[in-house]
Amino acid sequence: MRILRNLARRKLRTGLTVMGVTIGIWALVVFGSMANRITAMVDNGAAYFDSGVVAVWGGGGSAPQSNPLDIAVGDRIAQIPGVDAVVPSVQLNLTEDPTGMTMSLPPMITAEPAGANQDRSTMHIEPAEGRLLTPEDEGMNVTVLGSDIALQYGKHAGDTFTMRGQDFLVVGVLRQTLTQPDIAAMVPLSTGQQLYVSTLPSLVRGDLEPSSVVTGFAVYPAPGADPEAIAAAIEALDPELGTMGPDDFDRLAGSYADMLNAVLVGIGLISVVIGGLSTINTMAMSVAERTREIGIKRAIGASRLRIVREFVTESAVIGLIGGSIGLGLGALAVALANEAGRSSGTILFELTPGTALTAVLFSTLLGALAGFVPAVHAARLDPVAALRYE
Amino acid sequence: MTAPVSTSPALLEGRNLRKTYRLGRRNTVEALRGVDVSIGPGEMVAIMGPSGSGKSTLMHILGLLHSPDLNHGPRPELRFDGRDATALSEAERTRIRARQIGFVFQDFNLVPTLTALENVMLASEYAGTSGPQARMAALRALNQVGLMQRAGHRPPELSGGEQQRVAIARALVNEPALVLADEPTGNLDSSRSQEVLALLRELNGRSGQTVVLVTHDPEVGAACDRVIRMLDGQVR
Repeated sequence: MRILRNLARRKLRTGLTVMGVTIGIWALVVFGSMANRITAMVDNGAAYFDSGVVAVWGGGGSAPQSNPLDIAVGDRIAQIPGVDAVVPSVQLNLTEDPTGMTMSLPPMITAEPAGANQDRSTMHIEPAEGRLLTPEDEGMNVTVLGSDIALQYGKHAGDTFTMRGQDFLVVGVLRQTLTQPDIAAMVPLSTGQQLYVSTLPSLVRGDLEPSSVVTGFAVYPAPGADPEAIAAAIEALDPELGTMGPDDFDRLAGSYADMLNAVLVGIGLISVVIGGLSTINTMAMSVAERTREIGIKRAIGASRLRIVREFVTESAVIGLIGGSIGLGLGALAVALANEAGRSSGTILFELTPGTALTAVLFSTLLGALAGFVPAVHAARLDPVAALRYE
Repeated sequence: MTAPVSTSPALLEGRNLRKTYRLGRRNTVEALRGVDVSIGPGEMVAIMGPSGSGKSTLMHILGLLHSPDLNHGPRPELRFDGRDATALSEAERTRIRARQIGFVFQDFNLVPTLTALENVMLASEYAGTSGPQARMAALRALNQVGLMQRAGHRPPELSGGEQQRVAIARALVNEPALVLADEPTGNLDSSRSQEVLALLRELNGRSGQTVVLVTHDPEVGAACDRVIRMLDGQVR
């Protein structure tokens, strides 16, 4: 109570300081949530690749592409020692001219033989509405939509969804996974093959048989086999084939994510440091203003430790209040931004309890630290000189 | 140089007390130039003298707020309640100030944001008394100075005389062996001065507390057992 009363003595200054801390913690919460989201995406991807799967595509390069491949290539890959299964797939952009934030992947149409990734992939998907695809769907214009696409286009199970000029019956909508399936429209493999070939320029299309065209394979190693060795063997098979195994993924996504996270958290920390400096300033002013009071307290027997404790506690309370308000406003901003982004399929933030707790603890600690130097200065004042101070 | 009249050992005993303040590189002030002083338990003593005679400096040393100079002249001695106070650390001197000495100042020096009760409790807490007991002790002390009814008021809501009585309650709350008062009536009109002086006299008589006060006022000096007169940093 006495602490709050001391803080209330200079309402404007305390208010401004609390606001400084608030803005710092707000930035930390918002950017921290963004970093959480990126980490979640990368982790989910890493979990997928942790199963040892090697992604294969045509055209080489270090990132997956949608170039046509002969499905027969899969048979040659299957001959490589240590390969357990080869699942063909087709991936193409949902729209001809994909737009979206650079941070998120473009929405994709993905096609695999129904059920192929049910028992293989560690990417666990389940329907929120309707059902998943079954082998009976082959050749039909049916689709299961990822949660973000369904929200963006406002589609539910039973609706009709037009992709690349063709109408599809939505038979299911997936639960949110926080990663790639959220922005995928899943179709049966043969349907995907036909759709893919129909999007190729007529000159390229020629007399391609849709059932022989894929854009990639998911290669599953046998238990104990080294996925990196398999990836190397696949690239040796044909220089036109690009692969991505667990190590490649970690290198590519991990380094990008680490850098981005460092930048985001850095921005947040800078804001927090500014908040901390303004707390130091406030506490230093407060010490100067209360010099006489400190003299009185020291004269009548307050130990130096007690004086330090008093000022450190006051500034920690400033940090706690600022941190709590910052967290509240940050959580609100994150929730509003996610709500606004939901319609366009870009969910950028994820506020975890860990981030929330860290933000408040951090601001309290920062407040205490900011108060420490002025507090020590206060405790060292000569009581007699402090008493005479006007 | 006045010899102690008391037969019991002195509560405060000072020898060769010197204090030089350095105001600038070449500018030093010799506030005390070798003072010997002895104050017995239960005495009420006034320190009198013109401005700049060193009476406040002497009081700060007797109250363990400052140390006498150790590095020039004959070695000083300062004994408080039998202990050698020149050898004490800052923490130990703070502890003695909290538990065994009460201070009353000319301009009251109450903490403006705290109520009368909280101001008195502060001293009790610094002496190591915990919450509820500190509150009880503070209420008793306020009752002694006749301000029980004003316990919830803050200093700006109290008259000068009332504020000084709160300060006296604060000085008394730990039942200290020594009460030091620096011009306790300096900012009060004559009738309030009488009140405060009578209060100090009464407490001195009732609980045998040693009271040392610095004053300009000859009437206050006359009301004390003994007067120590100072001039130019020395006892006359």
